[in-house]
Amino acid sequence: MPLEILGPLVVLGIAGIALLLHRLGLTAPRHFRSEDDVRRAWAREFPNTPPQDILMSSDAKAALILLGNRAGLTWCFGDDTVSRLLRDHETTITPSGLRIDLPDFGAPQVEITLTTADLAKWQEAMNSL
Amino acid sequence: MTDTLTYPDVVSLAVPFFIAAILFELIWIRSTGKGGRYETRDAITSLIMGAGNVASGILLGFIAWGFFMVLWEITPLDLGTSWWVVLICFVLDDLRYYWVHRFGHRVRWVWASHVNHHSSQHYNLTTALRQTWTYTFTFMMVVRAPLILVGFHPAMVLFCGGLNLIYQFWIHTEAINKMPRWFEAIMNTPSHHRVHHGRNPRYLDCNYAGVFIIWDKIFGTFVPEQDHDKVDYGLVHNLGTFNPLRVAFHEWVAIFKDMSRKGLTLRERLLYAVAPPGWSHDGKRINAEKMKANHLKRHPEDAGTPGFQ
Repeated sequence: MPLEILGPLVVLGIAGIALLLHRLGLTAPRHFRSEDDVRRAWAREFPNTPPQDILMSSDAKAALILLGNRAGLTWCFGDDTVSRLLRDHETTITPSGLRIDLPDFGAPQVEITLTTADLAKWQEAMNSL
Repeated sequence: MTDTLTYPDVVSLAVPFFIAAILFELIWIRSTGKGGRYETRDAITSLIMGAGNVASGILLGFIAWGFFMVLWEITPLDLGTSWWVVLICFVLDDLRYYWVHRFGHRVRWVWASHVNHHSSQHYNLTTALRQTWTYTFTFMMVVRAPLILVGFHPAMVLFCGGLNLIYQFWIHTEAINKMPRWFEAIMNTPSHHRVHHGRNPRYLDCNYAGVFIIWDKIFGTFVPEQDHDKVDYGLVHNLGTFNPLRVAFHEWVAIFKDMSRKGLTLRERLLYAVAPPGWSHDGKRINAEKMKANHLKRHPEDAGTPGFQ
């Protein structure tokens, strides 16, 4: 197929499908419904390291996983979840909560929505590690 | 010698069919409430990866083609262009696909290219198009060398490879449960390939087939889908980005980081590139074998069942 036809076909095809999916309400619908939901999400990636305690973000889209002397993070990603152990990360306070920069090219950054009260809890928990 | 043989670029010709089939699958899921999931950014990332795969083929395809034509010049054999030669070529190229795919999961250098096909947590027809941009750098084109040296024309081999890729498109769906028993026994199907995309310990490193599932049965890597162990799609540690550049290159970056660590021997640096994914010089990382063993510690009742034999 000539590039003059293939190129526009691909671009219009992708744009059309993107618009359709978005209009159908299929953009990033996931949030955590409960602590058990967080535990299940964490266990998907770290089944041998059960959480001792969990701090949910204010919008229920991320959770700090406390594991004794270390911590992890689980967050909603599109319609799914991703989890990482926290090490060699950087934490920055933002107007909406926290930003955590991870040393991971495939999961570089997580924005976490926290109220002032929740931010204080997260900071206290992270500082105690 | 047949030097100027040409076949249609079947993958490009199939693009309208791909788009129509994706729309059909989406309508099916919305109207029946079953048969899979779609998420906007996941699907768009998959489609952009597919477009990038075509673009990388246009930009870098000359490397493999040049290599194949050198082999074609060298070989004294020419099997011609009969339909039965094309048929044999298709079957043998599918055997080639099985081994390249198996290397793709067991050699980290090749996994770095193939990983992005597995990087979606969804399993729908857009996932089929989430293809690599970096296949040329795996040097896996050498696995096709025997086909050309025994007399299959390079154009025929690539034509068969294109047909193979198109076949594999339709099996990336949850909308089809099982095909007829005879078909499931011989051919790769949505059920068999769902298993291949599973991150459950049971389903790691199995069902490498392209078109014919018989290769997995012959080489001992076949695991049937289990009704009681629903497939969880994606990677052992899933990606936290939809950025296509990060999807395409994340494992290459990870290999570079590992190989350039301080205090490693030359052998250890090399093994970070070519050992199976999950290998580490201190044994602290978890690989597929350890994941299966850990699962059996938690669920000893699964020992001896498919995927744990």
